[in-house]
Amino acid sequence: MKIAVGGKGGSGKTTVAGTLARVLAERGHRVVAMDDDSNPNLAMTLGVPPGEASSLPSIPRDWLEERPDDAGGTRLELKVPAEEFIDRFGVSAGPNLTLLVMGQPNHGGSG
Amino acid sequence: MRGVLRGLVSTATRTTVVDLEAGLEHLSRGTARHVDTLLLIAEPYFKSLEAAQRSFVLAQDLGIGRISMVANKIRTPRDEQTVREFASRHAAQIAGVIPYDPAVVEADERGTAVIDQRPDATSVAAIRRLADELLSTAS
Repeated sequence: MKIAVGGKGGSGKTTVAGTLARVLAERGHRVVAMDDDSNPNLAMTLGVPPGEASSLPSIPRDWLEERPDDAGGTRLELKVPAEEFIDRFGVSAGPNLTLLVMGQPNHGGSG
Repeated sequence: MRGVLRGLVSTATRTTVVDLEAGLEHLSRGTARHVDTLLLIAEPYFKSLEAAQRSFVLAQDLGIGRISMVANKIRTPRDEQTVREFASRHAAQIAGVIPYDPAVVEADERGTAVIDQRPDATSVAAIRRLADELLSTAS
C-alpha cells in the first residue's frame, strides 16, 4: 500500500501521517515514511529524536545516472534499487519503520 | 534531487506513507501520482473543506485508486456532521474521523510523538481505526 497524506498547512496532516506510519509498523508492516514537505517535521510525529533526521547525507554520484526524459532532455535517476537506497539513507524510527526526508534544502548529488 | 527521491515512492516495495507538501498546487506534479491511496485531511470549517475538495478534484485526474477525506480536529457531533455532509455532497468518501485532542497539542509543544507521549489518546485510537479501515479495504 502506498499512501499519501495531504491537506492545508495546520490541518494536522503530519500528525496523521506520522502516527499512521507508526501504527502500520506496530502491526508488522515494513514501512517507509517519506517527508515530502518543504518544511519537514514528520520526524517528530514518528518519535525520531530532534537532530537525528535533520541532515540527510548527500547521495554519492555513482548511485545516480542520467537518463533521457520525455521532453528530450535528461534527468537524474537512482541506479540502485529503492529498497537498498532506503536502507542506506533512511533514519530508523523503530522496528519496521524508516524515515526518509525528501525536502532537504542543499541536498546536492555531488557528495 | 527531490525528483529523484520522489521516484522512490513508485519503486519502493514496502508500505509507504508520504507526508505531502502542504497546499494543493503541488499535487499534480509531485509525489501524489505515485500512490494508490490519497488521504486528504480536512478540518470542519469551510476553507479547509474547500481546499480538500479542490485537491479531491485534482487527484481524480491523476488516476489515484482511492481518494478519501479524513476529518480532523472534530470537537462536536455537529463538526462531524459538517464534514460528512460536505463529503456526501461531493461524493467523497470519509476514511476516518479524528477528534480534536489536547494530547496532540501537548506532544507538539514538547516536540514528541503523540503516540509515545499518550499511546491511549483519543486521536491515536482514531488513527488506529483509520489504519484498520485502510488495511481492510486495501487491494
